[in-house]
Amino acid sequence: MVTHELLAACRRGDPEAYEEVVRRTYRHVYTQALRLVGDRQDAEDVAQDAYLRVYRGLAGFRGDAQFETWLYRIVSNAAMSHLRKRRRFGELAKDSPEESRELPSATLVAEEAVDRDSLTKALDSLPPSLRVVVILKDVYGLSCREIGDQIGASEGAVKVRLHRARRRLKEMLFGAEARDEV
Amino acid sequence: MRCEEVRPLLPELAEGNLREAGEVERHLASCLSCTAELGRYRTVVLELAALREVLSEPAPGFLDRVIAQIPEKNWRSMVHRLASDERLHYAVFSVGGAVVGGTAIALLWWRAARRPLAAAEGRAATV
Repeated sequence: MVTHELLAACRRGDPEAYEEVVRRTYRHVYTQALRLVGDRQDAEDVAQDAYLRVYRGLAGFRGDAQFETWLYRIVSNAAMSHLRKRRRFGELAKDSPEESRELPSATLVAEEAVDRDSLTKALDSLPPSLRVVVILKDVYGLSCREIGDQIGASEGAVKVRLHRARRRLKEMLFGAEARDEV
Repeated sequence: MRCEEVRPLLPELAEGNLREAGEVERHLASCLSCTAELGRYRTVVLELAALREVLSEPAPGFLDRVIAQIPEKNWRSMVHRLASDERLHYAVFSVGGAVVGGTAIALLWWRAARRPLAAAEGRAATV
């Protein structure tokens, strides 16, 4: 979605090129921020902060990684900073207790296919410590190590949360039967 | 391996990291229930990846606000605003007029101050 030529123009200091980058990416950036912080106004603040970071960091972007991957990392960083400022970061840093999980809602129970609305609702119902990890890994493709660096947890702890989040999502989407089959 | 041992490993295997001849894989080859469970995990992982392209629309004006905060844009818009501000034009003309007037007065004063000195220098030269 963003070409090398456009990025080169940005690095030369062309504000029109940077504006074009913003136009091409703002929905992606806003959506990622919204998924991570869960509030529209907060998501706008995070997205604006992310674009300032992108502007300052573009000169150092070497282009050996995909721009989109680099952008996802920056948005993720901005979202974590925002959650820290809002003192919601404690929720991310601590593990959610297994015993507190709720039974899947009947409206979310599906057969083998999954519809997007159900998946989004199931994601929103996860505790922040699990939601952030599964979004960054499975939706945006960050590595467990990168996620650990961002939320202040070890790679092993991130993997544990990731697997827990996938299991809860599977239970919510496919119902209690799938959980109790064994 | 038994189902109870395999089930906790399925969330990780859902990423598609199956090896050819591991114990887990041998169990999966013979257990329909665990294979179905792995399929459900894979569905979850695949659908999560697909969410990347499912986009939300921000509030109207959001894009303009982001563009307005681009530093170069800020600088340019400030210059443009100053260039089109009539009050600023009057202020610039007033200050410019004051500077020209002040300079002219200073020059006249300087020449007037130098005239007696030059006359004295001329008299001294003739003597």
